[in-house]
Parts: sequence; C-alpha cells; structure tokens
Amino acid sequence: MADDKIESLLAYMENQTTCLNVAGDSPNALKNLPRTKQRVKDSSLPLLSNDDPQLLLNVHFNQAVRLRKLIIHTAEAHISQGPALVKLFVNRPTIDFEEAENEGEPQAVQVIELTQEQVQSGEPISLRFAMQFQKVSTLQIFVQSNFEDGDVTRIDALDLLGTPTLGGGARDLSGLHKEEDS
Amino acid sequence: MPIEATIIILDNSEFMRNGDYQPSRFHAQSDAVNTVFQSKVDSNPENSVGLMTMAGKGPEVLVTNTKDLGQVLAAIHTASGKIGGNTDIPTAIAVAQLALKHRQNKNLRQRIIAFVGSPMEGPAADERNMIKLAKKLKKNNVAVDIVAFGDGMEEGEQSVLKAFVDNANSNDNSHYVSIPPGPQLLSDVLVSSAVLAGDHGIPEELMGNPEAAAPGAPTGNFEFGVDPSLDPELALALRMSMEEEQARQAAAAATQPPASATEAAPAAAKPDAAYPPDEADDDDEEALLKRALAMSEGDDVDMSGHDGEDDEDEDMSEDEAIAKAIQMSMKENAGEPKEPPKKS
Repeated sequence: MADDKIESLLAYMENQTTCLNVAGDSPNALKNLPRTKQRVKDSSLPLLSNDDPQLLLNVHFNQAVRLRKLIIHTAEAHISQGPALVKLFVNRPTIDFEEAENEGEPQAVQVIELTQEQVQSGEPISLRFAMQFQKVSTLQIFVQSNFEDGDVTRIDALDLLGTPTLGGGARDLSGLHKEEDS
Repeated sequence: MPIEATIIILDNSEFMRNGDYQPSRFHAQSDAVNTVFQSKVDSNPENSVGLMTMAGKGPEVLVTNTKDLGQVLAAIHTASGKIGGNTDIPTAIAVAQLALKHRQNKNLRQRIIAFVGSPMEGPAADERNMIKLAKKLKKNNVAVDIVAFGDGMEEGEQSVLKAFVDNANSNDNSHYVSIPPGPQLLSDVLVSSAVLAGDHGIPEELMGNPEAAAPGAPTGNFEFGVDPSLDPELALALRMSMEEEQARQAAAAATQPPASATEAAPAAAKPDAAYPPDEADDDDEEALLKRALAMSEGDDVDMSGHDGEDDEDEDMSEDEAIAKAIQMSMKENAGEPKEPPKKS
C-alpha cells in the first residue's frame, strides 16, 4: 500500500458542517473551533452543549476521504466536561439524536470510550480499519456523555487525520508547481 | 433570506366552524396558509412548504414539501370537508418533525408553523410535556412558529404555547403570534408579523407582537410610521420624498413663498412624524387639541407639544410656521392610524 502522508482533513471541511445542541450562537460556532489541536490555556471559542450533554457534529467534506485518526481535546481546566462516550457514523447526514443514541455497532461505525488522558492531551486516537472509513463524505460525531455526567459537554479542539482520495486540493489542480514528494 | 423547508399545521377541529373571523375561522386560516406559502416560496426559490392537519381522526400530512401552490390549494379544499374532532398538538408536531426529517433537500433548514384555534386539552395542556417537546425541537434545530387565534389564544401568564415557543427558540428563530378577532384579516396581520418578517429581509427583532404592543409603539419602530412590509413602495416613496424635501426646504425657506413649501409638506410631514414617533404617546390628546385649534383658527401652532422638533422651533420664521402648521395637520392624520391598535 502506498505510504500516504496522513494529514489533517480539516482542510477539506465544507461550510455545511453543523453541530446540533450547541449552546449560544448558531450551530456554526464549530467554524471557530481551532482548526488544529492547539495547546490553549483558555479556549477562545469552545464548543459547548446546551442543556444536555449530547452533541451531534456533522462534518461535511468536499471529497471522499479516508479517515485514520481522531483528536478530541478539552482544556485541562474543564476536563471533566470533556466528551466520554463518542460514536462515529459515516455518511448519515440526517441522523438525529434518538437514532444516534440507540444505535451501537455495527450501524455506528465505531463507538469510542475516551479516557481523560486522551482528551486532555489531545492525542490522536487511531480508528479501526473499517470499510466505511475509507469513503467518508460526511462524518457524524455523536457525543453521548461527558466525564462528569453533567449537563454541559465542552470540546476545545477537534481534528481529523487521514488522507484524501482525490489528492491534495488546489495544489494538484494547478499543474504549475513542481512535483513535490507527496 | 434563509432557505427553509416549512411544514404548516392546520387546525381543522370543530372549533374552526366558528364565524368570529371572516367568513369562518377555517376560511380565514386557509387564506393565511395561502399567504404564508406564497411568502415562503417567493422569498427563495429553493424553499418548499408542506401541509398537514392536526384534528379530525388524527394528524395527517396532506401535502409533502412542495413548491407548487396548486397542490396546497387542492389539499386545503379537501381539508375543508374534514373539519371535526379535536387537535392533538404533540402528535402533530412529532409527525411534522418526521416529515421534515425526510425532506428531499437536506440543506434546507426546518420550520414548523402551527395554527392553533382550539383550546389546549389533554396532553397538549400539560406544560411539562410541551416544554420537553420544545426542547427536542430546539435540539434538532427546528424552528417553530405558533399562530394562535380564536380559542387558541390563552389568557395571562399561563400560556402553554408561549412557553413552548420560548423553549424551542434559538436565536430568535421561533415566534408566537396571537391574533384576536376583528376587522383585520388573519393573513394581513400575519404578513406584518414576526412570522413572515424574515422572508422580507426585515430583522425579526423589529417586529412587535401586534397584540402586546403599547399604543402607538408598533408603528413607532418603523421609519415614517409606515410598515415597510405592509407597503414597501410607500415606505420607499416617503423616504425619497423626505430626502428631496430636505434639499428643497433648504432652498425654499429663504427665497420661495410658503405655497411651494406647502406642496412639499404632505411628503415631509411623514418624515417629521418619524423623528419622535415614540413620543406620540405622550402628546396624543393635548397635541391633537392644539392642532385642531390651530387648524380652525389658522394661527401658528404652539410647538411645545412636539419635542423632537425643538431645533426648528426657535428659528422659525412666519413662513416656516405656517408650513409647520400644515405639517402638523398631516401628522395628525398619520397619528390617527396609530390609535386602533389600542382598542384591541
């Protein structure tokens, strides 16, 4: 298998990305979420859930991607509000909260129970090698609960790592650049 | 102008036979549905609207989301033959949510507009239940508008529907409008209300609930005392004529006779009325009396009743005073339409 460079897939994220059950502003508070994991002491614009701990993040990509790793980060000061149980669904943009809650694997492509260390350090979590992860057009990240079982879940940074199937975007399309070793 | 898929829920219960709205509640409601449909589909060609009923044997979807008015009109016609039973609001909203979930174009935002003309009974009256439902709608980012009329209007603070809308509201996307019986058409009141304001591009905060607004205040928010959504051409014409008049008066004051200022006065009158529109409340009776006196005697009008025009008062020449008197009489005419809202 070719040794593709794993990169952040946030570059391929589209504007249609939304998140349900977000407190405060419109669902596109997600756009303000730091695009790459950053070591921040106090996040400027965290993603907070409204009223209950569930969050349903709907990430749209502009091409099918292969998803390899996931990073979810919550700042240390708020780590108890970090997401604990996360379910990943692929290509189901109209899924709603009831379905997400009731379905386990195999409909959910992967159910991940996070540890506080993983979320606090923001380490990349390798995902299972599943067929669905090779052709992801939209990804639904359902956060079912947080560490303290409280009413508010908080995510400070989010990153998705993998490889695009169609290549690296504008760089390839221009054809004017020298061939780089990617 | 947001791109939306809307489901309209009609009340087709027995209470719709009542004639307190012209010609009957059901017809007034159908008219309003027509207006809402047109408004939604005109504001954005991608918008689609569906229709369902909530009484009769049970909530039933008549038309799935469509852009075709003909289907909706035909459905209303068949619904008019099925009036009866009692409404079941929670089930109807659940069905509407499901219908929206399966809309063809997933990019459309979801909205439910429910017409409620019968009293809340059974599960609908249980406020906790309704609030839970509202929170579910908010979580799924579904906006809700409730149009209460007839027996659906609730007195005082107990309003379950108002609490419902407040809980489903996120960022001002949901509204509660209560329309009492009266000479005005249900659809007219709707057009100028917050429910359809978004389609006209008017920020929804500017729209007052016609029921709850203080006397004189509803039109006070609008420039020139004219609702731009009711009559955009008039509002535009008034704005343009004010600008023209400002330029003209600058020249007219010094050299030209009052007569030319007079012609421009009707147009300028409304802009002047705009400066302290919310002070019309304070002025009302006394100012009207003063104006009436001034008109009948042809004297200079005492300007103390009109606080917003202090700047001009001190420097007034006789010519300008006469022009002002005429403007005041125009203002009185503009002032009168503000009174009827007090009566309801």
